[in-house]
Amino acid sequence: MKKLLLIPYALWMLIFVVFPLLLMAAYSFIDLSGNITLNNYASFFSSNYIQMTLSSFWYAFLITLFTLIVSYPLALALNATKRKTIWLLIIILPTWINLLLKTYAFIGIFGKNGILNDIFAVFNIDEIQLLFSDTAFIIVSVYIFLPFMLLPLFNAISGIDNNLLNAAKDLGATRVQVFSKIILPLTADGIKAGIQVVFIPSLSLFMITRLITGNKVITLGTAIEQQFLTNENWGMGSTIGIFLVIFMLLIMVITSGKSDNRVMKL
Amino acid sequence: MTTIKLENVAYTYGDTQVLKHINYTFEDNKFYTILGPSGCGKTTILKLIGGFIEPNSGEVRFDDKVMNKIPANQRKVNTVFQDYALFPHLNVLENIIFGLKIKKTSKKEMDKKLDEVLRLTNLEEFKNRNIGDLSGGQRQRVAIARAVINEPDILLLDEPLSALDYNLRVDMQYELKEMQKRLGIIFIFVTHDQEEALGLSDEIIVMDRGNIVQTGSPKDIYDEPLNRYVADFIGESNIVRGTMVKDRVVSIYGRSYDCIDGGIMPNTSVDVMIRPEDIYFGEHNKDKLNVTVDSVLFKGVHYEICCLDEDGYEWVMHSTKNALLGSKISLNFAKEDIHIMIPGEDEENFIERLESFQGEDE
Amino acid sequence: MKKIANIFLLVSILLLYFPIFYLMFYSFNSAGNMSHFDGFTLNYYKSVLTDSRMLVIILNTIAVALISSSIATLIGLCGALYLYNIKEKSRKMLLAVNNVMIVSPDVIIGASLLILFTLAGMSLGSVSVILAHIAFSVPITVILILPKLYSMNPSLVDAAKDLGADTKTTIIKVIIPYIKPGIIAGFFMALTYSLDDFAVTFFVTGSGFSLLSVEVYSMARRGITLEINAISTIVFVVVFTCVFIYYLISKRQEKLRGRV
Repeated sequence: MKKLLLIPYALWMLIFVVFPLLLMAAYSFIDLSGNITLNNYASFFSSNYIQMTLSSFWYAFLITLFTLIVSYPLALALNATKRKTIWLLIIILPTWINLLLKTYAFIGIFGKNGILNDIFAVFNIDEIQLLFSDTAFIIVSVYIFLPFMLLPLFNAISGIDNNLLNAAKDLGATRVQVFSKIILPLTADGIKAGIQVVFIPSLSLFMITRLITGNKVITLGTAIEQQFLTNENWGMGSTIGIFLVIFMLLIMVITSGKSDNRVMKL
Repeated sequence: MTTIKLENVAYTYGDTQVLKHINYTFEDNKFYTILGPSGCGKTTILKLIGGFIEPNSGEVRFDDKVMNKIPANQRKVNTVFQDYALFPHLNVLENIIFGLKIKKTSKKEMDKKLDEVLRLTNLEEFKNRNIGDLSGGQRQRVAIARAVINEPDILLLDEPLSALDYNLRVDMQYELKEMQKRLGIIFIFVTHDQEEALGLSDEIIVMDRGNIVQTGSPKDIYDEPLNRYVADFIGESNIVRGTMVKDRVVSIYGRSYDCIDGGIMPNTSVDVMIRPEDIYFGEHNKDKLNVTVDSVLFKGVHYEICCLDEDGYEWVMHSTKNALLGSKISLNFAKEDIHIMIPGEDEENFIERLESFQGEDE
Repeated sequence: MKKIANIFLLVSILLLYFPIFYLMFYSFNSAGNMSHFDGFTLNYYKSVLTDSRMLVIILNTIAVALISSSIATLIGLCGALYLYNIKEKSRKMLLAVNNVMIVSPDVIIGASLLILFTLAGMSLGSVSVILAHIAFSVPITVILILPKLYSMNPSLVDAAKDLGADTKTTIIKVIIPYIKPGIIAGFFMALTYSLDDFAVTFFVTGSGFSLLSVEVYSMARRGITLEINAISTIVFVVVFTCVFIYYLISKRQEKLRGRV
């Protein structure tokens, strides 16, 4: 019986997870004309790609940082409400709207004639072109990832026994000390999980970069999509992909803790 | 009628040897209790008989048929689990008939058996309740009903009373005893509670670290514990070092006392055990063992009096009379209340000694 | 302090919903842009709902989601039951593989599956999209079902065996009813991921087959079209209604349970 249960799952994971990744690894050694080569790796270490990788990391870092800065107080505020589940549901609800639609909304909001400039006009601020800028890219990304960061943080915060906080106060801790000595360490796993679910996808975004920045920002994801679907250079695309996987594994190791929070979306 | 034989059974889990070398036969539709502290392997014996695990060596036999490889669902054994293991998605009735349904029992027969079992366990009015709405005692009855409706030859009970509060536990003890008599099957009951074991059982099996230490009727084990471990585990006891002078005479603190044990080489050093309720005190008397009263606790039925003897050893006695704190008193006990134990003696030699000595007696 | 927290919460929620309502508002704009509201019109809804190509795409999206999550839940259930039954060490290893798949960026899943399908000689279309969706859903369902299995008292399984059930009966009559909430949660999570997906589908779909997100992407790349706004409004209303109904049902069940 045990074996019977194993077959569908193991077969599936082998064919659709392990095998494709191995194929990708194999493809990273193949050039455009189908010869075996190390040139893809050589090009990845050329200054162009290194620069692209660094900037991709920089953007991912900024996105993760800003998402964390907004989410943490939000999670605290959420935890302080009386009817937590309803408020949580309200915050999570927009994630059920396809992220393409939400990204598309920002084309309108950030456009030259968009509502943002209308608001700026009221306050006599000069009209700016936010669309097609990297600021817009970061804002939209933070907006998209906010709920995903919020959930593990909220789970961690709401899991803290109230008596612990009372005990800390009882022992003479000030509010700041309660936060820094009790709440922050106890939510460390939640923060790690949140970073994991934001940083890795941030490295690989390609749809938002195309729609919002008009190819001004190139992430690892954009580069892979470009190589696979536009240049049809699967070898180079796979090479970047392999590096993305390596980065992902590194980040997973660094942020390992309880990491099954990502799917707690419901 | 079934007999269950454990022959040289050993069981290892990971690096720990849970059962070392177990030999025992359950028979005669008695109420058996396996008694021991947690981790002594008592639940493992139940699991072996229930068919949830296989022994690493040795044999489990039912009526001489080797059962080692027969899975739980093919044994005429049912279990009442420690936490009851009631199916939370089924109601009381559905839980009880779970086993019958799997055997595809006819509706008519099922109803008949159900009626009987509901009456036996007093569950008629609860049969449509959800499991979550039952009290601990009711859950326990459902667990028993669910097991006995399958008419097993053997019922295994894994500390089924441990989750109940004191009064309910006492009530359930009576009911279990009653039920065993009515069903006329072997009950094997596992517990760490010596009171439960003494009250319920026809036979007690005392275990320690994967071994059976002593077996026998509650009275035998209480009155003639094999060693310090059994004496301490069952009931309270005062145990002091002594030396055998000759048959029927033991020396404690250089003073000779008459006793009824014998068959021991003179000058053997022994453990002398006296139950607290067998000691009564009198006036200070220089010819007797004298002690100073150290503390007195009122226990309801009796006083628990702790005294210190001249060597600083503590003596506990139960008395309906109160004693004055700090007063000097003498301890008295009848010769048949002095129990001699030889450290390191195993059950086989112990029984042999008792039998041979008593034989000599006649 | 509490007041500041509440204000912060409300402002955040307003900002979170602003883009969505912004889209919905302009879906009724007769001027055809997202900057100046001219007058009320339902034209864009009419054009979405009469566009048979668009309707097929919407149906495709729903069908792919339902089919892929059902199959994924079944496979995930097998996987979870298997993982539950094996030794700790091998389980940890397999779960790590499972986790890699969950954390894997969409581009990697999409690109690697594109290689697989192409090498296997499969034409890209409905089948490849469904397979890809199952592929990224299976690990999610496993992760959601497994904790439910662990919350189950292991002696329930012993009890079922004790009462004569073989392994198959035990799974069907005891384990599956017990972990049903986990299975349902897994199914809905797979459904959500499938409906939400863009990148994987974008990689493995061919010219003849499209899902809503891919279609919206190609429309949006051409600039602002208020048909997208109309679609957003419809999607939002449907999602909101579903969540609201779900919320009411769960509230009612809570009450019912409370009364017994």
